[in-house]
Amino acid sequence: MKRGWVTVLPGLWIGLVVLVSLAAPVLVHVSPLQPVADPLSPPSVSAPLGTDSLGRDLWARLLYGGRVSLGVSFLAVSLTILLGGAAGMVAAMAGGWPDRVILWLANSALAIPGLLLAMLLVAAVGPGVPAVVMAVGLGGAPGFARLARSVFLQVKQDGYIAAAAALGADLAWISARHVLPNARPKLVSLTATHYAWALMGTVTLTFLGLGGDPAIPEWGAMLNAGRADLIGAPWAALWPALAISLTVLSVHAIADRVGR
Amino acid sequence: MIRHNRVFVAVLVAAVLSGVTIGCASQSAGDSLVSYGLTLSPTGIDPHLNASLELGIPLSSVYDTLVFQDPETGAFVPGLAQEWTVSADGLEYTFSLRHDVTFHDGTPFNAEAVVTNFDYVLNPDNHSQRAAFMMGPIEGVQAVDEYTVRLSLGQPFAPLLDSLSQVYLGMASPLALEQWGPAEYQFHQIGTGPYRFLEYVPDDHLSLVRNPDYNWGPSIYKRSQGEVESFVFKFYEDPATRLLALQGGQVDVIGELPPRDAAQIEGSDAFDLLPVAIPGQPLQLMFNTRQPPTHDLQVRRALIMGVDRASIVRTVFGNYSPVAIGPLASNGLSPTPTNANLDFDQAAARQILLQAGWEAGLGGTRLRQGIPLALDVVVPSWGSNPEVGQLIEAAWEELGAQVRLTVAPGFGQLKEMQAAGDYNAIGYNTFGADPDLLRSFFHSDGLYNWTGVDHDGLDRLLDQAAQTTGDPDTRRQLYEQVSSIIQDEALILPVRDYVDLIGYNRRVQGLQFSYQGWFPLLIDLRLAH
Amino acid sequence: MVPAPDRFAPGPLAAVFRRILQGLLTAWAAVSLTFLALRLAGGDPIANLLAQGLASPTQASNLRRALGLDQPIWTQYLHYLGGLVRGDLGVSLYTSRDVSTVIGERIPPTAALASAGLIVALLIGLILGVTAAWSSRRPIGIVAGLLSSLALTLPVAVTGVLSILGLSLAFRAIPGADFLANLQSLVLPAFVLGFASSGGIARLVQTGLTESLNKPYILAAKARGLPVGARLLWHALRPALPPVISLTALEASFLFSGTVVTETVFSRPGLGRLLVTSILRGDFPVAQGIVVMAALVYTGGHILADLLALAIDPRLRRLI
Repeated sequence: MKRGWVTVLPGLWIGLVVLVSLAAPVLVHVSPLQPVADPLSPPSVSAPLGTDSLGRDLWARLLYGGRVSLGVSFLAVSLTILLGGAAGMVAAMAGGWPDRVILWLANSALAIPGLLLAMLLVAAVGPGVPAVVMAVGLGGAPGFARLARSVFLQVKQDGYIAAAAALGADLAWISARHVLPNARPKLVSLTATHYAWALMGTVTLTFLGLGGDPAIPEWGAMLNAGRADLIGAPWAALWPALAISLTVLSVHAIADRVGR
Repeated sequence: MIRHNRVFVAVLVAAVLSGVTIGCASQSAGDSLVSYGLTLSPTGIDPHLNASLELGIPLSSVYDTLVFQDPETGAFVPGLAQEWTVSADGLEYTFSLRHDVTFHDGTPFNAEAVVTNFDYVLNPDNHSQRAAFMMGPIEGVQAVDEYTVRLSLGQPFAPLLDSLSQVYLGMASPLALEQWGPAEYQFHQIGTGPYRFLEYVPDDHLSLVRNPDYNWGPSIYKRSQGEVESFVFKFYEDPATRLLALQGGQVDVIGELPPRDAAQIEGSDAFDLLPVAIPGQPLQLMFNTRQPPTHDLQVRRALIMGVDRASIVRTVFGNYSPVAIGPLASNGLSPTPTNANLDFDQAAARQILLQAGWEAGLGGTRLRQGIPLALDVVVPSWGSNPEVGQLIEAAWEELGAQVRLTVAPGFGQLKEMQAAGDYNAIGYNTFGADPDLLRSFFHSDGLYNWTGVDHDGLDRLLDQAAQTTGDPDTRRQLYEQVSSIIQDEALILPVRDYVDLIGYNRRVQGLQFSYQGWFPLLIDLRLAH
Repeated sequence: MVPAPDRFAPGPLAAVFRRILQGLLTAWAAVSLTFLALRLAGGDPIANLLAQGLASPTQASNLRRALGLDQPIWTQYLHYLGGLVRGDLGVSLYTSRDVSTVIGERIPPTAALASAGLIVALLIGLILGVTAAWSSRRPIGIVAGLLSSLALTLPVAVTGVLSILGLSLAFRAIPGADFLANLQSLVLPAFVLGFASSGGIARLVQTGLTESLNKPYILAAKARGLPVGARLLWHALRPALPPVISLTALEASFLFSGTVVTETVFSRPGLGRLLVTSILRGDFPVAQGIVVMAALVYTGGHILADLLALAIDPRLRRLI
């Protein structure tokens, strides 16, 4: 019984976050960009979560910020699974030297610490949302490629795949018809974990100031902005910190559950 | 194996402990050392070649200038030049130099040294970013005899004395200039000032030590010699670290405190706040008159009227900054008339936009013939520009514009974006006591003509004012007219007059800043006992 | 059936050699990737200088020639590699100083933080992992497991900010305590960094120890009446350690990323902050130099870890 209760919580939180983010325009009646009260006011009736250093409503910024953080991470992880998944599948199915080359490329990319690689990519393109999507998306691809490759290899070992190959079926058809569907559950878990990492990466890049327009609410940028006033007015940093933590933890928990 | 592990761990622990100890040993400030916190770390610190203001904070005490400016009255007093005459046509300045001055390396100061300095500044290969432009229409510098120098100008140049009083035209030892060359000299600067340059480690620190031979100070220096034995300047680019550095004892003085932090130490037991008004341009946005939709005067007027500048200043700067009302800070040389066009009136702003053809569209963005009211705004990363930029963005979004704000992390990037031309408003300002600084911004040929303005009246007035050496009142009136035109053409959105918030430890006394505002007179600093 | 001896098993020296060669190839690829990432995405570093007015157009083209930027990208690449071998990482676009000098100045504070972080990571990882495995049924074990999950998943930025918040609250409760001095010491940043890196180690220790605890010889020892205490723990822990050593070396990679964020959160000087500043300033040579160095250190650490594992376990040699 205790087990079940703990399992349900992450799912509830994610559901809540997604719902609330989508419904932000309905739930929030003030603009996240406009000052509504004195800067750094503590939580009150008019501003339930308080205001930030420019007097903007933190509840509004948290909700709209969720849209940006979650949305950007989603785009990034899509890029990751497309690139990394394709590479991993090719490596696993083709074997031989394509496998070696892809593996070597992935390992080399992994030799560069993930965040640094992402920062370099942002540096090359210039700070902004597209850069963050690309940086986080590309940055996660090598790792995903390796893990996906393992999954595909495992599935490939299944007897009936070998049988199909023996019967003369071509590799691409086998991949699409048999390997992918069987790999799906493991891949879904992997994707979920990588979504959590994409969220982490997005939030960290914007925290470091590489995210573009500072007015647009976003959890990582809000965390950084709140840092300056941490001692006098901790709520400005506290809400994004909690939001990030709970969301990342929940996604990981769900990924664990799906993986089993 | 286990033994190896233990050794490994022991070495690591030793490394960590030594790191911790080194980190914790703060500059134990002896009675004769003052730590000063600087902000932006400049690309180079040779005042003859680089434009940074930061470098002037330490180096104004390493160099003397031909003339000095009284910090309170702004009057020009003798410095290295004990007297000077100006020809009737204003084209020739003859300076009689002091005979008793020596450089920190022992070489004598004379007319030849002055000529060498000007040659160094004006040499196009050295690429001086600031000092060369401060000379205006200079044609030649000549050593008439051992202690007399003559400057020849192509036209009268009113800001000349102002330029000559600044560290960028400080006198350096010709021997050192030649010995080190333009690239290396910044690490081995030799002047004649009350403090000697010791060393500079970029991004880390700069140190000065007292010059015991100094006794040719100008009348504006209260003391004939510095009391503090040495100064160490450290960099604190992150505004959040500045108050911490002061409170933690790592610095005794630090400038550009964020307003909220400044409020914390005002009138406290151990520390105090000295707000210093800085003459020059206010924090402002300049509109691009060559880029739609800001090419339309009505749009610019509406964008100005739609911003509650007073509220923005209050939010970001508290009570520390006056709201700016013109292209020059009201504490500068020429007070600017207030203009009703600047008053906040959101309804009127909306009306103007409507009349200009910008109708309310779906989703709140205004449209004109199907094109949305899109604005690109670029601001630099310093001086709270990003915060102001965000609030202006919010105000313009309320008016129905779609705003994209970009923060340029450095001056190089700012200029790059400006050169690309894709901006409707860009934030930038320079400081200075002489209003001629407006010329490079608002003259059609100006180096910083980022508004893209080409107005004959402005050009004429600015050129004329630069040449009006005789009568300060006439000059002031000319600039008032300049200011009027700028406001009528809605070229800028002025936000706040700069006030530098200096936090200092109460053991430091006698802190005073130059007329230009940024540079402390280190010679007059004392330590309380 | 006893399998025939493998005539092609590599001797120990060959194994080491092969491993190092692999590492070099990977390092080369990482360096090249870094180089490409910056160059191909465009952006003319000289344009930045021009924009700042630091160079006239003639000077700019001279500079371009001097830096070799007018050459085809392959020549530049070879030039860069050659310089790398000699220890020449180029020149900072911002201050015109040698990149190696600039980086060298920042190594001590970062090394101090990273080493401290690594030690903390090991300590916390061991404590959490052992507790989770040894007391897996009791609440403290569950808490330990939860903490290692938190360590693994929470972004460093969040833990850093929350720790400062926690510290400020704690010190408000203790009158007279010096909040500032503690904030600026190495302790808190090292703790934050170490905690973030400890998750992987904790997990590994937990699984390794759990597995080893269920081995027959441990149960036999228990049956023989060996006291359930430190000695038993040590016996069970030893076989679980080799993978931990490898992982610790791998954590070096994560430590780099963690250091960047930790230095930013606590406003400490070091390579991490230099990286952020140089990227914001557009000083590509410095940024590139730091990343290349990080990649090389990581690859070196990896090689070291593998060689260490080889030294411990002769069976692994066959697998290379």
